Amino acid sequence: MCFFKKMSRRTLVQALIALPALSLFRKLPEADAARAGPSRADPSPADPNEIVEVNGWILKRSDLA
Amino acid sequence: MIFDSHEAYLAANFKPKVCILGSGPAGTTIARKLGAAGIPVVVLEAGSREFSDESQDFYRGTTVGDFYFDLDITRLRYMGGSSNHWAGWCRVLDKQDFEPKAWAPDTGWPIRRTDIEPYLPEVHDILELPDFRPDVPISDDIRWVQLIKSPAVRFGEKFADELDKSRNIAVVLNTYATELAGDGKRVTGAKLWSNGQDAGAFSADYFIVCTGGLENSRLLLWSNQRSNGGVVPNATALGSYWMEHPTFEGGNAILADYGEFEVDAVNEAFFSPTLAAMERLRIMNFGIRLIETPYAGVKHVIADLACTAPDMAEWVAYRLSQNLRCAAQLYVAWEQAPLASNRIELSKTDVDHAGVPRIEMHWKKSELERRTLVEGLKLFGTTLIEKNLGRVRLMDWIANSEDYPTDEETAGHHHMGGTRMGTDITRSVVDANCKVHGMDNLYVGGSSVFCTSGQANPTTTITALACRLGDHLSKVVAV
Repeated sequence: MCFFKKMSRRTLVQALIALPALSLFRKLPEADAARAGPSRADPSPADPNEIVEVNGWILKRSDLA
Repeated sequence: MIFDSHEAYLAANFKPKVCILGSGPAGTTIARKLGAAGIPVVVLEAGSREFSDESQDFYRGTTVGDFYFDLDITRLRYMGGSSNHWAGWCRVLDKQDFEPKAWAPDTGWPIRRTDIEPYLPEVHDILELPDFRPDVPISDDIRWVQLIKSPAVRFGEKFADELDKSRNIAVVLNTYATELAGDGKRVTGAKLWSNGQDAGAFSADYFIVCTGGLENSRLLLWSNQRSNGGVVPNATALGSYWMEHPTFEGGNAILADYGEFEVDAVNEAFFSPTLAAMERLRIMNFGIRLIETPYAGVKHVIADLACTAPDMAEWVAYRLSQNLRCAAQLYVAWEQAPLASNRIELSKTDVDHAGVPRIEMHWKKSELERRTLVEGLKLFGTTLIEKNLGRVRLMDWIANSEDYPTDEETAGHHHMGGTRMGTDITRSVVDANCKVHGMDNLYVGGSSVFCTSGQANPTTTITALACRLGDHLSKVVAV
C-alpha cells in the first residue's frame, strides 16, 4: 500500500499544496510544461513517450519519476 | 378526446381505423401524426393519468443472468409511459451505429441514419431541442460528441390538452390489451382488460404495438402463443437480441485545462470513438461522460497519482492551489452487442392480475462488451496523453479485471431490441417499415425495433422512428 494512505488527509493535502515550491530547488520544469511533453532527458533507454499502465493510471513512461 | 374508462369510450361510438397500444413517446407521436392526417386513431393506455402501485404491479418480472433493476421500477405504466421518469438526455444514434460491423455479428440496420434525418426537425419540436452541433474530432480515435439535456418532455402532460381536443384521436385510459388475435396474415382483434375484468374484444384495421422496450416482446410472445403463431408467423427472433446500455463509473481524469473541452450547462462533456478506432480495436460504440470531480475527490486522485507519478501529482497540486478545476470522474456507457441469448421470455409460473405471464428476462454482458469498456477507457487515456490534455486512471475493478460492481448505476434503463428490424426473418421481427414480417396490418413502434443500441440515449431515435412510421402509416392507411 502507498505510504500516502497512512498520512492524515490534512497532512497529505498540505504537503501536496507545498509541492510546487519544491520545484524551485529540484529544477523541475515549469508546471505547464507538462502539457507540452517531456522536457528532460530520460536516462533510461526506454521510449519516454511509451504508453504504460501503472496502478491503473494510463501514463507516458516519462511521467514516472 | 381522452376517456378515463373503456365504458366511456364505448359510449362515444368512435370508429377508429388504427389502434395504437401504449401512450409513451412512440405511441403518442404516431397518434399525433395520424390524427393530423385525418385518420381516426384510438390509443389504448393500460394505466391512468397518474402513477399507481396497482398499475405498476403488472410490470413485475424476474431477471436471469447479470444484476438488473426490478422490472416494475425500470419503466412506468401510465399515460406518457416511461417518459414520465426520463432524464431528458438527447442524441440521435450515430451514422456508424446503423452500419454492419464485421467483428460483431448481427449488427447493421436495414435503414440508414439518412432515413430518419428528414424527421429530426419534427423531433426537435417535440422534444424542445436546439440544433445538435457536429462532432468534434479530438484525435483519429476519439471525438467530442454532444448530448443535449432537454427539458425531458413528459408526453402525457405535454400533449394531454392537444389529445383531449382532437376529433381524430381517442385516448382510452385504464384499458389493457392483454393479447392480440391473428390468423397468420392479419391481426383480427385485441382482447381487453379494464376495471379488473375482461372487457371484451376490440377491432381495428391496423394495430401498432407501442407498449415499451420490454412489454412489446411480452405482448407479442403471449399473443403468438395464444394464437398458435397467428400474430408473429416468423417468431424465431421474437424477444431476442434485447439490449441495454451498461453504465459504470470507469475512472478519473486529471486535466491540463478543463477549458480545453466544451462542457454543457451542467459542466459535463461526452466523448465517443471513431469508426476507425472501433474497427481497429474490434469494439462496440461507447460514450465517456466527463463530470467535474468535487474538491474532496480531487485530493484523493492527486494522492493516488503521487504514488505513481510524483512530478505529475506536483503539477496537479499546483493547479489545485490556484483553485483551478483539474479533475473529472469518467462514467462509461457502452453499446451492447446484439446477442440472441439476451432475451425476453414468458414466465412459466407467474402471471399478472389479468392472467398474462410475467417477463423472465435473460441478460448478460459479454466479453466483447468488457473489452469495449477497458479498451475505450485506454483509448481515451492515450488520446489525452497524445494531445497533452491530461491523464486517466482506471477504477480498481477495471484495472484488476474484477467483476462488475453491483452497487452502481449498472445500466441506463434503456430497453432495446426484442422485436428488431431486419430483412432476415430468422433474425428479425419487423421490416424496414416496422411492419411485422408476414402480417399485413401489424406494426411495432419504440426501441424494441432497434437492431443495435449505439451509445446514445434512445428517446431521440425512438421519436424520429415514430415520426417516420407515422408518415408511412398515413400513406398506407389512407389508401
